[in-house]
Amino acid sequence: MTITAMLFMLLGLGLIAWLTGRARAIALAGNGKSRLNSLPNYHGWYVLAWVIIPAAIFTLVWQNISPVLITNNVLASPDAVSLPSDAGARAAILSEARNIANGVQDVAFQDGSEKLVDDYRQATSLYNLIQLIILGIIIFACGAFAFLRIKPDFRARSKVERLMLGVLLAASLIAIITTLGIVASLMFETFQFFTHVSVSEFIFGTEWNPKKHTTPGEYNGYGAIPLFWGTIFIGAIIAMIVAIPLGLMSAIYLTQYASTKLRAWMKPILELLAGIPTVVYGYFAALTIAPAVRDFAVMLGVSNAASDNAMAAGLVMGVMIIPLVASMSDDSIAAVPSAMRDGSLAMGATKSETIKKVLLPAALPGVVGGILLAVSRAIGETMIVVMAAGYTANLTANPFASITTVTVQIVALLTGDQDFGSPQTLAAFALGLLLFCVTLMLNLIALRIVKKYREEYE
Amino acid sequence: MSNAQILRTPTDWNNPDMQRRIQKRYASEKRFRLIGLVSVALSAIFLAFLLFNMLGQGFKGFLQTRAEVTIDMPAMTGGASVTSISGPNAEAAINGLDLQGVAQAAITQQYGNDQGKIFSSSVGNYLKLQLLDNPELIEQKTTFNLPVNSEIDIANKGDGDAESEAIVARLEKAGTISTVFNMDFLTGGDATDPSEAGIWSAFKGSLMTMVITMLLAFPVGVLSALYLEEFAPKNRLTDFIEVSINNLAAVPSIIFGLLGLVIFLSWFGMARSSALVGGLTLALMTMPVIVIAGRNAIKAVPPSIREAAMGIGASPMQVIFHHVLPLALPGILTGTIIGMARALGETAPLLMIGMRAFVSTPASGFGDPSSVLPVQIYLWSDEVNRGFVEKTSAAIIVLLIFLMAMNATAIYLRNRFENRW
Repeated sequence: MTITAMLFMLLGLGLIAWLTGRARAIALAGNGKSRLNSLPNYHGWYVLAWVIIPAAIFTLVWQNISPVLITNNVLASPDAVSLPSDAGARAAILSEARNIANGVQDVAFQDGSEKLVDDYRQATSLYNLIQLIILGIIIFACGAFAFLRIKPDFRARSKVERLMLGVLLAASLIAIITTLGIVASLMFETFQFFTHVSVSEFIFGTEWNPKKHTTPGEYNGYGAIPLFWGTIFIGAIIAMIVAIPLGLMSAIYLTQYASTKLRAWMKPILELLAGIPTVVYGYFAALTIAPAVRDFAVMLGVSNAASDNAMAAGLVMGVMIIPLVASMSDDSIAAVPSAMRDGSLAMGATKSETIKKVLLPAALPGVVGGILLAVSRAIGETMIVVMAAGYTANLTANPFASITTVTVQIVALLTGDQDFGSPQTLAAFALGLLLFCVTLMLNLIALRIVKKYREEYE
Repeated sequence: MSNAQILRTPTDWNNPDMQRRIQKRYASEKRFRLIGLVSVALSAIFLAFLLFNMLGQGFKGFLQTRAEVTIDMPAMTGGASVTSISGPNAEAAINGLDLQGVAQAAITQQYGNDQGKIFSSSVGNYLKLQLLDNPELIEQKTTFNLPVNSEIDIANKGDGDAESEAIVARLEKAGTISTVFNMDFLTGGDATDPSEAGIWSAFKGSLMTMVITMLLAFPVGVLSALYLEEFAPKNRLTDFIEVSINNLAAVPSIIFGLLGLVIFLSWFGMARSSALVGGLTLALMTMPVIVIAGRNAIKAVPPSIREAAMGIGASPMQVIFHHVLPLALPGILTGTIIGMARALGETAPLLMIGMRAFVSTPASGFGDPSSVLPVQIYLWSDEVNRGFVEKTSAAIIVLLIFLMAMNATAIYLRNRFENRW
């Protein structure tokens, strides 16, 4: 049975269960003659939960064990005797026969797989029948159990609410599962990568030129230093040179100087800047900014200016980060008690002196936290650098040269047609793990600074 | 007054030194203010430049150049009739007519042998669609406006090479060239020829991916926000959940792509480049955003409401689901729409799970290979063919319009349902 059909069937059964449970509760109450402990709806939900949850669990388990059972059944058939003894060849034939039987594949390529198709069909229908029967028994038994428990004084509400609490907790656990999933999957692939390439080469090597086949003990071109440098140069240097002054000054102007009307206009415009997809920034950087930067560099007399240069990517990324820096600075400036500002103004300081000497120093931890978050965003940013920076690893401080970053290389390594186990593919996960750790650290520090600072004045 | 000590002489405001100092301070004040204004203006100018740049290039993508060709259908198709191309097998019958050959013959008659330099390679397909809509055309001699190829199209829009410009000038003199709104761009799928490429398959893919993202991220996000804000005891586990959620919201999106690649594709063996995997991956990314927005919205509901409901005997669960959640819902929805808008514009994680396949026909199910708008933009931006520049910008316009509509909805919701207690 397909998943969709299963889903609809369960939903239908659930509705029936809900209605019958509710109806029984109402009937037992006898039009208010005896008082129900819980509202009728809760009895409905109680029966529904008993019908759907065991059935869903059984279906999930069955999805995973039935292929094994079916395959065993096929192997027991007389046609399977002629299968080769080699495990790999055997599995290939079996999976092909299964694909044909399920209609995924039309023609057989392997010897002997066609013979097994009918066996597969028979086994599948047999086990589908078994599944339906067990499912029917489970639904009926659980439903009847729940239905019979309904009495006027049955505490359906507390049971349903306890279940609900479990559902809420499970929903929040998904965040942990995702985090663990990220760490586990990246770690797993990274360990495999380090069986091909030595850790010291990866961390201290200065040449990035990944080879498909590695030889142990030799230098294989997996030195990631140029990538780290490119990432820092574009994300933490060029982008921040643009974003910090512009973002900070925008925040100061909008909160301290601007009229209400200008603020009402400019805030959404800054938000709009934050809402534009990065692929659009990337396209803009590659098509418009990068050629302009190259022409400018040529005008300055830089001979080796590339058309995909670090400058273009960094500039556009900086603009993308402006709203983030602005809103974080805005928050921390607004958190400075107005008594401090008023005091400074009352002493005769001008507004700019107040801002420079009182507000900014007081807001500095929050601003620094915001900048760290911005750096973390910039070094994880992908599309702008993929489209506007280059693919060639280059250990240079020339902003007009083509420079590559960690994220660019992840994309480059994973969008080719390499097979999954090759060191090139695995290298992407090592880079990903590194990126994850660095951004995680930056975020933790930033959040801690921002939080600690906020509490100071409260 | 006699011997009262004067601590400090009164400020002499007329002293030229003082005047100079004050002037200097005022000048620095003005300078500072101006720098602020300039930084705000720079952001606005950049945004305006970007938008005008996209609009300027993109609007051409919505236009299509066509040239007239008169085709004597009865003579060229060997007497096919309305009855022969209607009925259930209409499409097959029309396919059997070799309309591409018919069109090419007619074009050669009228434009000489350089027809391949003028018209799009999709003229046969264009004629087929026309005949499907109006079968009676098969019995008439009709003048069709056939799409030209992308070089001529670019030349007509004012940016072509010399040879194409000359052809356009010739066609203009003959009065057979025209520019129409390009419906095919909105309804067509990806193609290798820019004059045929459209965004419908990518658009549909985006919608399907968003449906999956929404169905998964919204309930999970709201439920965990409720748990963390209303029920969670203060212990190690809930602390860890909280830190995880805050961190997930700041993890680079490409990492979610790697997660999707390893877990959904490699471990679970789900279909590569399908809307289902794309939606799952984006849901994991969007969920923390919804949780954080949801918690803020729930926090904003005043305790008096909870206490009042408790006071008349509601259980904690009833308080949450009957009172707090409905009041917090507008705020949660606003956050959800903003999170979805971000997911809609996301490219990098989808590249990781292989959603960069060439998809010309829209996916019909959630498991089929599909494309999404941002990835389509990325792929087109890499094309060498110059005709794709305007298509890319046009696709960007569509994406931006969609995003702005979503953000406008969020702002409207926020203003409409903003409660002050």
